[in-house]
Amino acid sequence: MPIKKLYQEEQIDSPLGQLWHAFASNPFAVAGLWAVIFLLLLVILGPLLAPFQPELQNPDAILLPPSWDQAGHVSHFLGTDDLGRDLFSRILHGVRLTFGMSLIVVVCALVVGFIIGSLSGMMRGLKSSILGHLLDALLSIPSLLLAILVVAVTGPGLSNVFWAVGIALTPQFVRAIHQAVHEELQKEYVTAAKLDGASQIQIFWYVIMPNVWDVVIIQTTIAISVAILDIAALGFLNLGAQAPSSEWGSMIYQGLSSLLIAPWTITIPGLAILFTVLSINLVGDGLRSALAPIRN
Amino acid sequence: MWRYLIRRLNLFIATSIVMMAVLFFATGMFPVEKGYALTGIQFPTEEQQVQTVEDYKLDKNQFSQFYAYVTQRLSGNLGISVNSQQDVAEELSAVLPASFELSLFAGCIAVFFGVPLGVLASLSSSKPVQRSILAITLTGYSIPVFWLGLTLALWFGVQLEWLPISGQINLLYEIEPVTRIMLIDTLLSESSYSMSAFKDALLHIILPAVTLAVLPFTVVIRITRQAMVTVMTQTYIRAAEARGLSTYRILIRHALPNALIPVLKAFGLMLGSFASYGIIVEVIFAWPGVGSWLINAIYQRDYTVIQAGILSVSLLIIFLSIMIELLHTTINPINRKELYAD
Repeated sequence: MPIKKLYQEEQIDSPLGQLWHAFASNPFAVAGLWAVIFLLLLVILGPLLAPFQPELQNPDAILLPPSWDQAGHVSHFLGTDDLGRDLFSRILHGVRLTFGMSLIVVVCALVVGFIIGSLSGMMRGLKSSILGHLLDALLSIPSLLLAILVVAVTGPGLSNVFWAVGIALTPQFVRAIHQAVHEELQKEYVTAAKLDGASQIQIFWYVIMPNVWDVVIIQTTIAISVAILDIAALGFLNLGAQAPSSEWGSMIYQGLSSLLIAPWTITIPGLAILFTVLSINLVGDGLRSALAPIRN
Repeated sequence: MWRYLIRRLNLFIATSIVMMAVLFFATGMFPVEKGYALTGIQFPTEEQQVQTVEDYKLDKNQFSQFYAYVTQRLSGNLGISVNSQQDVAEELSAVLPASFELSLFAGCIAVFFGVPLGVLASLSSSKPVQRSILAITLTGYSIPVFWLGLTLALWFGVQLEWLPISGQINLLYEIEPVTRIMLIDTLLSESSYSMSAFKDALLHIILPAVTLAVLPFTVVIRITRQAMVTVMTQTYIRAAEARGLSTYRILIRHALPNALIPVLKAFGLMLGSFASYGIIVEVIFAWPGVGSWLINAIYQRDYTVIQAGILSVSLLIIFLSIMIELLHTTINPINRKELYAD
């Protein structure tokens, strides 16, 4: 006999639970979340799963089409490029370079941007506007131009991409967090906390921050997708990761020479980038619409 | 309003100075001799050497060097290109219009197709339509532009042979540069083939412009849809409905102008990534604009061209974003009220 509910008990979820419910009601967002988890696993396990070394050249299988093609062979699942390197292994190794690196860049930019943004947001007057607007100048230089500047100073390479993309992303975090903190600071509940005798640090951390985290989260998802596209674009322009690297943008650049006879050498890395960015954007979009009713 | 204008002007000057300081700092760090990085003269004669030190105050401290740098650059002295030995300012004025042409064309495509689609999307209440629009716009956001450009070129250019995939115009046409915007120049030219040259230029611009338009197009659809949904729930729309106005009239006259304000703002915020995308598209389609000029310069380590390109593009973006903000405030007085309140 099933247990009957005697009382109409109304249970209200915690804010996090509400967020999860709103998020889970959107199937696209959940699919995106699964894809992101899958990619995160690949960042850790990718090189272990890969059947070949990314730079291993197989002279017997040059420009082999993907395995579903008539001429393809299953030993090279996604085919090979013009040097006989296995595309499937290269894609798996590239997850770490493109997606993994974008995560590291975004975390670094987030930490720096969070510190500067919250400091300038909590200050008033000239100090605040100098700190807040100082980086606006960097915001106006497109990330690609910034990367060109970095490459001109230090030469191309994957580590310089880190600096270029990081410098380009930081001002966006500064601006978003500065604005959010500044906006919350004007509200009356903050005045109430101030009248209760809360110190600046208490106001910042316990009063304002709970209302700013959602801005930080949304900005982070946007930044990750921007970072992936920027890293890949620099790889494609041969300013980022250099030739034998299996970074996805760089793979497209290396496939350019055999574009007409072997289009899969650019289609497959391109689809990998599209899949990654799309799943990040799906999660970001789901989070944004899940957070929206709470915010309003 | 005046107070507002002056504040924006201050912001423009301040950001430009910071931007130039970043550039000056980076120029000092280029792995070559400073005089060479500044002027582009690799083996200067005695006189040139003296002239360079005189112009850029290389014997003085960093501050007067920066001041000299700013005055030189703003008076139009951008040095000479290391590779072509031409005046950089002249080269810049030759490539800038081509970029303008491409980005204006792409922007127009985005607005002309994006706004109506966004309005249509906001009107439909069926789940499948909304989901598919969400899917399309998200894919448009996520697609890497270099891959999209290559794929479009491969399909429409190479396999179907519908459209040309490189350059501004077929080299057989000799068009005299007047405005340096090819679509206008072909119409202005007095030769007998001016009409067919115009058609050829139009065919050349389609693929790069469509590739570049994908990002603003998706942004415009999303923002228009969101803004229309918000505007349509407001009371003045209900009042207009109560007066018996037709849906079409309400949409076009009452709702759309208010819904377009956020679109304008989104354009201002998008300028940076739009410029980045433009550079990549120019490289893929060999469009003779600032982007491909700049990328060639970095491959050849042409330091003066790198500086000039970054300086001009960044100043343009700062200027345009502040202009858009001004325009936004002018047509949207609520924004102004917030500004005076603080």
